[in-house]
Amino acid sequence: MSSSFSNGSLARADAWFGMKMSAVAAIMMAVLLIIPSALTIIYSLHNVPANGSSFGEFVGFRNYEIIFTSNVFWRSVWVTVVFSVGFVVLSTLFGLAMALLLNQEFLGRGLARGLLIIPWATPWLVIGILWKWYADGSVGGLNALLVGLGITGEYQNFLSDPNSALLLAITAAVWRQASFAGILLLAGLQTLPGELYEAAELDGANWWQRLNNVTIPWLRPVLVTVTVLNIIYAFLQFDVIFAMTQGGPGDATQVLSILIYRQLFVVTQIGLGSALAVVLGLAALIGGLVTVKVLYRGKAAN
Amino acid sequence: MQRQSIFRKPAAGGRNSRSLVQSVALYAGVAVFVLWILLPVWYLVISSLITPQQLGSRSFSFFPTSITFDNYLSVLTGSTGGAGIGSTDIGSRLLPAIGQSFLVSSILVVLNLIVAGAAAYALSRYPFPGSRRFELAVIATRVVPAIAIIGPFFVAFRVIGVLNSPWALVISYNVFTLPLAIMIMKNYFDQLPREVEEAAKIDGAGRLQTLLIIILPIARPGLVAAGVLIFLEAWSEFFYSLVLTNQLTVPSLLAGFQSVQQFNWNALAAATVMSMIPPVLLVMVFQRNVVGSLTAGVGK
Repeated sequence: MSSSFSNGSLARADAWFGMKMSAVAAIMMAVLLIIPSALTIIYSLHNVPANGSSFGEFVGFRNYEIIFTSNVFWRSVWVTVVFSVGFVVLSTLFGLAMALLLNQEFLGRGLARGLLIIPWATPWLVIGILWKWYADGSVGGLNALLVGLGITGEYQNFLSDPNSALLLAITAAVWRQASFAGILLLAGLQTLPGELYEAAELDGANWWQRLNNVTIPWLRPVLVTVTVLNIIYAFLQFDVIFAMTQGGPGDATQVLSILIYRQLFVVTQIGLGSALAVVLGLAALIGGLVTVKVLYRGKAAN
Repeated sequence: MQRQSIFRKPAAGGRNSRSLVQSVALYAGVAVFVLWILLPVWYLVISSLITPQQLGSRSFSFFPTSITFDNYLSVLTGSTGGAGIGSTDIGSRLLPAIGQSFLVSSILVVLNLIVAGAAAYALSRYPFPGSRRFELAVIATRVVPAIAIIGPFFVAFRVIGVLNSPWALVISYNVFTLPLAIMIMKNYFDQLPREVEEAAKIDGAGRLQTLLIIILPIARPGLVAAGVLIFLEAWSEFFYSLVLTNQLTVPSLLAGFQSVQQFNWNALAAATVMSMIPPVLLVMVFQRNVVGSLTAGVGK
């Protein structure tokens, strides 16, 4: 690359062409991301009136003080962490299990692989609606299933219990994300040269050893990417929880994004909500920088 | 890198004949997988095809003895039986919402293919001082939570008077569709051989000419993949639609319907099935392109 810049007027013309071609996208992103981000930070330092017509009184870091000394905030952080850990671990593991399964030869494999697309292509909000009613206490299919199989005696109201509500929200989100992970991991598995397996088999390696010593190392770059993507999706999750529980019962499923929504648009404390948004945004940005690092280290190692 | 399809290539494993135990375990695994994916979807589809009485019955059957299309008719003709106090009639609004969703998504696809396509091509072929930093910024913005910058959008859109119009969404959705489109297309352009362009250059073709006449035709699969993914994101987006409009697009309309006290799950199920068909169909049709482009930047 560096040589092309020192190549005289033709190279300069090339670079100038590149700049012109990128200009519209660059300007759009600057306007749509930098300005709103700056405004959100400014809001977070003010006591903004509920209608948002002006910045209101400057209060410095008061909003942040309120947040960091608030039980509601720390409770929400805890719920976010529990949701995220469950979501990331289960999505990655289920995705890997699906990919390994669908990489075997069996009757109807093409159809089974096609099924992976359904959860992935379904809008997050629709997944929330789908699982809310599937798990519903009066009409739910899950209850019909459990009662039919004799696992539970009568219909349970899963979404009104704090623990099972959180578990179901995680399950619904994993239902989608594991399929996405499965698609990426399956594509990774298909690039695995068969000779590697054969060599391991000749060495007398059993299934578990082959998985551990051949498959997983081969999939590592994809696994890293999938895990990082899952972490990002975990922090951004709003739709599924909004549709299923709106953060309830109580605050059992109130992840940070739900809390921000409530602060901004339900109780319209714009300053406080913005400060929360800055906190979440910073956390996500750090996650983003890690993503970039990981992705580019993967590329460089190639 | 060549295009991949997860649905065609022969697998690396499973060449050897299996023992009976292994076969049983394999097919048991497949059965669990199929049930895990299909049971919730099946329940949704069944719910949309039966009456509230059948649904509420404690002997609810996953294989109903009789089905009806009344739920679909009611959401399409605008009588969802939710005439109670405080109810919104979803039926009269579902078709317009589907129309708005198509409008917003299609405008974004065209706009982003042009704007992001030009940027992606430049980043791939004509690097400039700072282009690398621009590319990293693009990737990093993918993770900025949309919710973190919604406040200023809301205020600004109210000032310029585009709240509750498709334009509010066409503008704000670029926050996440534009970086995605740039990443996908940059990856795709990176894989295209440079020889054709060199040849065109020697023949005296200008840069823009080369792009339009030589590159665009061979880049079609990548552009299709990017287009499908942009459409998918725009079609599925819920949060901005919830905040910036009054249930203008399908997801926010469904959420609004669900929050109404008096409503009917059978009708909502029918509307939900209809909202799933376009994205699932789109991915099924273009899955080879889409999966290939998703894995291009990922699987090494």
